[in-house]
Amino acid sequence: MLRKREKNIGGCFTDTVKRCFTRNHCSDLVSPLSNRGTTGRIKICKVTGDRRVCSRIAAMGVYPGVEADIICSGKGHSCVLKVNGGTVSLDADVSENILVTSL
Amino acid sequence: MQLKMALAGNPNAGKTTLFNQLTGARQHVGNYPGITVDHKEGHLQYQGQTITITDLPGTYSMTAYSAEELVARDYLVYNRPQVVINIVDASNLERNLYLTCQLLELGAPLVVALNMIDVAEARGIEINAAVLAQHLQVPVVPIIARSGFGKDALLSAALQVASTNQQWNPLSISYGDDLDTTLSELIKIITAADLMTETYHARYTAIKYLENDDQIQAKGREISPQTAHLLEQLVEKTADHSRLTLDVYPEAIIADHRYGYIKSLLRQGVITRKFDADRLYTSDKIDKVLTNRLLGPVLMLAILFALYQFTFSWSEIPGTWLKNAFTWLSGLVETTLPNGTLKSLIISGIINGVGGVIGFVPLIMFMFFGIAILEDSGYLARVAFMMDRIFRIFGLHGSSVMPFIVSGGIAGGCAVPGVMATRTLRSPKERMATLLTVPFMNCGAKLPVLALLIGTFFGENKARYMFFFTMLAWIVAMLAAKLLRSTVLRGAPTPFVMELPPYRFPTIRGLCIHTWERTYQYVKKAGTVILGISILLWAMMTFPGLSEEVSTSFAMKRQEVMAAAAPDTRAELQIKKEPLSEQAQALNKAITLIGNEEAEMALRHSIAGKIGISLESVSRLAGFDWRTDIALIGGFAAKEVIVSTLGTAYSMGKVDSKDAQSLSDRLKEDSNWNKVTAVAALVFIMFYSPCFITLVCIAKEASWKWAAFSMAFNTILAYLMAVAVFQIGTFFSLG
Repeated sequence: MLRKREKNIGGCFTDTVKRCFTRNHCSDLVSPLSNRGTTGRIKICKVTGDRRVCSRIAAMGVYPGVEADIICSGKGHSCVLKVNGGTVSLDADVSENILVTSL
Repeated sequence: MQLKMALAGNPNAGKTTLFNQLTGARQHVGNYPGITVDHKEGHLQYQGQTITITDLPGTYSMTAYSAEELVARDYLVYNRPQVVINIVDASNLERNLYLTCQLLELGAPLVVALNMIDVAEARGIEINAAVLAQHLQVPVVPIIARSGFGKDALLSAALQVASTNQQWNPLSISYGDDLDTTLSELIKIITAADLMTETYHARYTAIKYLENDDQIQAKGREISPQTAHLLEQLVEKTADHSRLTLDVYPEAIIADHRYGYIKSLLRQGVITRKFDADRLYTSDKIDKVLTNRLLGPVLMLAILFALYQFTFSWSEIPGTWLKNAFTWLSGLVETTLPNGTLKSLIISGIINGVGGVIGFVPLIMFMFFGIAILEDSGYLARVAFMMDRIFRIFGLHGSSVMPFIVSGGIAGGCAVPGVMATRTLRSPKERMATLLTVPFMNCGAKLPVLALLIGTFFGENKARYMFFFTMLAWIVAMLAAKLLRSTVLRGAPTPFVMELPPYRFPTIRGLCIHTWERTYQYVKKAGTVILGISILLWAMMTFPGLSEEVSTSFAMKRQEVMAAAAPDTRAELQIKKEPLSEQAQALNKAITLIGNEEAEMALRHSIAGKIGISLESVSRLAGFDWRTDIALIGGFAAKEVIVSTLGTAYSMGKVDSKDAQSLSDRLKEDSNWNKVTAVAALVFIMFYSPCFITLVCIAKEASWKWAAFSMAFNTILAYLMAVAVFQIGTFFSLG
């Protein structure tokens, strides 16, 4: 399911070429926040999942187009994001539905 | 005329600190989001005007995503305060102004209090309040709620706004062409149908419809199903369109535009930064270590263990002083008053009862002090974040951590505020599972029992055993939660999303207030409820007393023993000679034994004794004798009573004894008690029925059915565990 989504996002020619040749970098292009194993600056590309959760995190400043810092990477677990001046913690289910790209 | 003011703001922005500063109240304040779950009222006099201030729970938005948001919004629209003071964290302006936008969209008469201006300055953020006020069209006052700086200027500004008595005039933000067109259509329908226009402005209702606000939509359906259907159809069409074109819901577009509006405001000379806006502050750097997925949990366990070491090692000396003081007092009454009911009441009912509870005040105080440091520094919120991973496995939510900690997760809390703190949980089933399992934590009332039994039977490693029993409480609570979530409370988990407050240095004043307010509650309870129950239980253990015939037979026995002794020996006892000769000591022992036998018979014959004896056939399986049963029954009323009742039950046979022994020594000497019995008793006391006050609170928060369930479920579970501990321990001769 997520793989399908990844294909739909960031679908420019360069990305397609990169996907073909560099498998490791593919996940760095657009991937779920929960998969990120390192800290650093990211951009939120898409937020999926339950509508109410999307609304709640949007009110906390987590919505598509926003740039954020990963303070604590989840790697399959909860993670901490610094976004719009605030520090927000998100559980694994929520961060799995947030697709991000490295900056 | 009385003026109504409300304090609104993001969680942890300093609302309650300001509320306390303005009203002189001592509401609980902490560096943890969601401390205030209901609104609280206070009063003050300013410039001859009586002002009623309401402290609202912290919210991120005015959309009904959680109970606190509903409480805040409902209060504002139904009570219509003349002024709403919006407390904004100046060090995190961008985020905090998001709520300001929504308050302005609601049309509330606003005064913005720029709190923590000192923290912002320390971070190199300079805010031009005048420019911000000009753009927002509302007064903006810089304040420091902790110190009271700017308090008068804020009140003056608020009074000025109130004096204009202006109509609620909503702000209009553009949400882009698509949404603006839909909004115009929605407003037309709402105005034509006069839907909720008495409560909300038509534009506000339209925005909430676009934001998919459950409460507003439900109200719309209730008032006018036809209009609501029309509105919902239009909103659905717009949502489909935004999903198709931008792949987002309308609420994300709304949030984006609101943040865009805020950013544009801030860029117009409101904010000047000395450093890069995106730089990581010390707080974020600390988080990189303390919330690290590998290092974080290890550090958390180390910090909690250090708290136990600190509490037990530092509280031991003042604790011994207090216990010695009560032993001395007991001895004094013993030597001054003549034998009889009054002496028994004072020694057994009052001194041993209340003294047994008061003796643990230093321990409780040190534990509360440690918890206050963790809470005020902001570390408790990180604990919630890290614990979410574990809680999820057992069907609970990360937000359940605070109710657990408040209830005694770090020994020393109280289940009553813990049960109330479950209001922050959105899912009814997760809330119910939390509500039913928080009483398993080691509250401040159980702490004396734990300290007494651990000190008596495992005195060599008190802190280590205390830590073990705290961990056991967590494990049992988690397993019970899993059992409940897999059976009666089955359901899907809800996501954990929480803002982590920045780390702050706790102030000595704040720590002292927190420690004092909790310790005072404990002492107050000991002097009122516990004293009352102690006296009642003493009466139940004293009356109806032995019949005259039996009393006479014991008196005769004593006379016979005395008569058999030599006159010199008798004289020694009568004049209380020190030291006693060997013969006099033997005579004294014989007299004491008769006295003990009489007192034990009287206790067995008493109301409480009869109840205890009737339960002994069942409780024996767990290793409890009838005296312990009496104490455990008392624990249904309040857990503190267990120690005091044990004190009374085990001191009754010792009224005539010369040396006033401590309860710990008495238990150690008693043949019914050993290490296995102590662990079985601890397990039972930790997990059996919550006290009466907690049950009432559960009934209030859920229902009497759930309160009864909690009482039965916990007691049966505790009994089965205690029986298992005692039988296995005895089989392997571990006692």
